[in-house]
Amino acid sequence: MQGQNQQQAYDRGITIFSPDGRLYQVEYAREAVKRGTASVGVRTADGVVLAADRHARSPLLERDSIEKIHKADDHVGIASAGHVADARKLIDLARRQAQVEQLRYGQQIGVESLTKEVTDYIQEYTQTGGARPFGVALLVGGIEDGEPRLFETDPSGTPYEWQAVAIGGDREEIQSFLEEEYTPEMDLESGVELALEALGSVSDDGLDASGVDIATVDVESEQFTSLTEDDVAERVDEFDLEGEDDE
Amino acid sequence: MSEFTEDPYAPELGSFEDLPQNELAGNDEDTVNKTGTTTVGIAVDDGVVIATDMRASLGGRFVSNKNVQKVEQIHPTAALTLVGSVGGAQSFIRTLRSEVDLYEARRGEDISIDALATLAGNFARGGPFRAIHPILGGVDDEGSHVYSIDPAGGVMADDYTVTGSGMQLAYGVLEGSYEEGLSMDEASTLAARAVYAATERDTGSGNGVYLALVTDDGVDITGYDDFDDVL
Repeated sequence: MQGQNQQQAYDRGITIFSPDGRLYQVEYAREAVKRGTASVGVRTADGVVLAADRHARSPLLERDSIEKIHKADDHVGIASAGHVADARKLIDLARRQAQVEQLRYGQQIGVESLTKEVTDYIQEYTQTGGARPFGVALLVGGIEDGEPRLFETDPSGTPYEWQAVAIGGDREEIQSFLEEEYTPEMDLESGVELALEALGSVSDDGLDASGVDIATVDVESEQFTSLTEDDVAERVDEFDLEGEDDE
Repeated sequence: MSEFTEDPYAPELGSFEDLPQNELAGNDEDTVNKTGTTTVGIAVDDGVVIATDMRASLGGRFVSNKNVQKVEQIHPTAALTLVGSVGGAQSFIRTLRSEVDLYEARRGEDISIDALATLAGNFARGGPFRAIHPILGGVDDEGSHVYSIDPAGGVMADDYTVTGSGMQLAYGVLEGSYEEGLSMDEASTLAARAVYAATERDTGSGNGVYLALVTDDGVDITGYDDFDDVL
């Protein structure tokens, strides 16, 4: 058993590099992220927009129970793509770390610091025997020192900062759309429109308002705000993103 | 795998549990160096002035050192005074310096004075830094700040504050002469006068004065054996 399989065993253990220096388990975790529905983040001049595709596999499923966008602290939201259960674990870490900042320093945690707390934690799961990496990517968006910030975490535990970004299924296509359409000067409402259009750009039947979750954190209030389904429906209608035939 | 890199109330490097529990017997107390001390902090528009006397004593009855610098820089634009147990205060300063440096290295910006005061209060409250009562004075984007940090971790901001055994004497001077809108020079003279009054009558304070001037540009600390140089 041991001798023969040794050669192909590089993808078995998380702590084992392949001969060409790759960590297969981390790459497989990235595949798990691609299997999730997409989430989009857009940084605008006056706030950050997080949008997530949360279409249900059955009309009987309560939409609100599909958790893709979460409030981490008053001034920070987190969207996920990939394993929701893994995301919940990281989001709770982020929530607690935000409170640790309040206890320790009496101040709001910065979006960059919070992201790095999360990615440092993710990284431990790429180097510890017996563990598996997190099969989830996150978008961490919020306000820091009056400035909108938007970060991505991936299963390797690397933080990236973005102007606009997509994670999850159809990432490449949505990212191309964002690269075409994004301008740094856009206001929050235009950011919401761009995020919705980006999600809609990969859907043949257009967007269904109940299948999209949107939240914003604006510079003025520095508060995480979730859009209601009616708000989303209004915008889907306004931006003409509905499908031709209704389902 | 640790979920948190740090205990919110403890220094990140070295835990409270690891520190030796140095419980002193009653008669040992007499051999512990105390600063006795009068330390004064005044916040004005252009910065903060801190003045401290230069005497260490054993219970205020024997002068164990006549040349103590009781104000130390702990941040690019903040300083802390040593009040109470010399050992506790020195350890407190070393700990806060390392926290300030780690914060800056990780985040690329200096910790604010308010956050530093909160952190110092947490350490004083939960930690082994017994019997200290320092003043923290600093300058940041929000302006000039002076805090007193009491032995139980109480953190109080004020325009001017005094701690140490000569506190009442120094406050007497400040209450008579403090006014809003002082310049750095005026505040320096006033702080030195307050310490001078205490050194004349408090046996735990004496032997000269150190002045720390904290501004946007940094911390400048100078010692004076003779009060005539600063009054």
